[in-house]
Amino acid sequence: MNGRVSLLGIRDWGLGADARGATQMMVTRIGDGVYRVEHDGGVDVVYVAGPPDDCWAFADGDVYRNARDRMRGLPAARVDATQALRAPMPATVLKVMVAPGAAVTAGETLVILEAMKMELPLRAAGDAVVSAVRCREGELVQPDAVLVELKFEDLRI
Amino acid sequence: MLTAEDAEDETGNALGVLGSAGSVIRRLLIANRGEIAVRIIRACRELGIESVAVYSEPDARAMHVSAADRAVPIGPSAAADSYLSSRRIIDAARSTLADAVHPGYGFLAQNASFAAACDREGLIFVGPNARTIADMGSKIESRRIMQQAGVPVVAGDTPVDQTDEGISAAIDRVGLPALVKASAGGGGKGMRTVRERSEVAAEVPAARREALAAFGDGTLYVERLIERPRHVEVQVFGDRHGSVVHLFERECSTQRRHQKVIEESPSPSISPHLRAAVTDAAVRAARAVSYQSAGTVEFLVAPADGDDTRPPFYFLEMNTRLQVEHGVSEVVTGVDLVRAQLLVASGEQVPWRQETLTQRGHAIEARIYAEDPASGFLPQAGRLLLYREPRMPGVRVDSGVAEGDEVSIHYDPLLAKVIAGAETRDLAMARLASALRAFPVLGVRTNIPFLLRVIEHSAFRAGMVDTGFLDREGATLLEEPGPAPAFVAAAMAAHSAHERNSTHRAGTHSRVRDDPWDGS
Repeated sequence: MNGRVSLLGIRDWGLGADARGATQMMVTRIGDGVYRVEHDGGVDVVYVAGPPDDCWAFADGDVYRNARDRMRGLPAARVDATQALRAPMPATVLKVMVAPGAAVTAGETLVILEAMKMELPLRAAGDAVVSAVRCREGELVQPDAVLVELKFEDLRI
Repeated sequence: MLTAEDAEDETGNALGVLGSAGSVIRRLLIANRGEIAVRIIRACRELGIESVAVYSEPDARAMHVSAADRAVPIGPSAAADSYLSSRRIIDAARSTLADAVHPGYGFLAQNASFAAACDREGLIFVGPNARTIADMGSKIESRRIMQQAGVPVVAGDTPVDQTDEGISAAIDRVGLPALVKASAGGGGKGMRTVRERSEVAAEVPAARREALAAFGDGTLYVERLIERPRHVEVQVFGDRHGSVVHLFERECSTQRRHQKVIEESPSPSISPHLRAAVTDAAVRAARAVSYQSAGTVEFLVAPADGDDTRPPFYFLEMNTRLQVEHGVSEVVTGVDLVRAQLLVASGEQVPWRQETLTQRGHAIEARIYAEDPASGFLPQAGRLLLYREPRMPGVRVDSGVAEGDEVSIHYDPLLAKVIAGAETRDLAMARLASALRAFPVLGVRTNIPFLLRVIEHSAFRAGMVDTGFLDREGATLLEEPGPAPAFVAAAMAAHSAHERNSTHRAGTHSRVRDDPWDGS
């Protein structure tokens, strides 16, 4: 983690109709414009290019363009993306640094957990607004428990 | 960039193309652009020939310009003032002291007066002679030559008696179903289909009226209509010493409005017997015009109808140039047609003997166009935000663009050709499909998703496609993917986040990953 670590471990994006809460996805940037997505259905490589407000994607021979695809019967995808930060392991919530409605910036620490006598900060993956805090200081949380929900208002999908 | 002296030092006669008469191509001007120009430049490099590219203003930074040893601007974007300007091309050849010109395909490739102008200027034209180009460019003359050479042509007649009765008698002679066409025509105007005797009375006057209105000439021509034909063409190659060989057939029935989309060899639709017949006919056709260089004889193959009295195939036309789909024949026979063109243009003999040429396995090509199938296949322009060609065994990609290039609307929207070769047709189709699934092109719509649906269509898989297939099946093949699946949306979100926050490099707890591509 010598400063070459990038953020794109993203999971639990609330994504439109398919979100169903249970959908867990892990996106890793593996090259310039190349993303590996682990999800329930397996692993896919997706190519993405273009500015955030008009990006194009290619997966398995099909092309998607967000501006166009958004208009096509996917009301939920107009959503601002939400991200649930979850507990990675059994831990105690040591400190909650934010309250609902707070604007946070990428890299800002949201919650500090304590597990096995070590502090584990959970940070924001991008600039976002805290939509909910689902844990209390001193609470013992189990793996995958949702701790904080973030809303990325400018992260149109 | 090589100077003339460097070229001589590096290539000399050992690598240069030495002709039997001592004519040597040392510097070749490529009068084209895009993938075919790049393809020809590669052949030059292999042969130690210096390459000269020409370019119009919007092409100043195109791949063919950077690939060539030197490049000459020839004018503005309009093709008529650049790539189609015989004078500008010849001026460019003279100013760079090129000794030969390769026209590629399209533009000036089948322009007899350009070939003649090259001759006059002492430039070797890499192709057949001007006379052959002119003869084969004329529908009437080519038909006459082919008939004389015993190559079957579609029954047709321009009756002297142009009355309704005269046309009707001509329809009887060619047989039903028939096409009644404007003799002066083209583009489907003044063209009527007559399937039943009873339709003659109405259709003939209608065709005449349309012909008069469109061309000011009501002369009608009657031709037997071949229904649901296949397009099968034969690659031929000749030299000035009288040798002519064929490199087997290509099946090109997968067309959209006469634009070929997928080509393959061998044809899945013809028997060994028919293959022998069409390749023989093609060689006869090429011999009849003492054909030199690479050419293609196109045939319409009629569906089997149990009538043995009619030939099952008919001469359509001869293309006196290298074709877009030449790579299919190269992959299936293992030869280099462009290299052979350069050798033969230098006076050498055809570098292969007929007996040594075979079709090994199967080759299939898909043409990647910058076009949007969802909006009537409208050509697309824009920047190639992401463009990654597939790299896998048995797959060849010929292209003239790179990531970041601007695709302009000035020229043909062909971006690349993907050619897959394998032991069998099934394997070649599977390989082509995997290559297309691994060919992301973003920023400009392409026909890749459409091509995949064509390849997956049961009729295509069965090799049962006729030339009307794509136009009939259009609607079902155009089906667009729905909204982005969640995993794609997730990648788009991640990309957006990366674009927005690429300076932050913040991590989320245990899911942080090292990114070896990240140079920061």
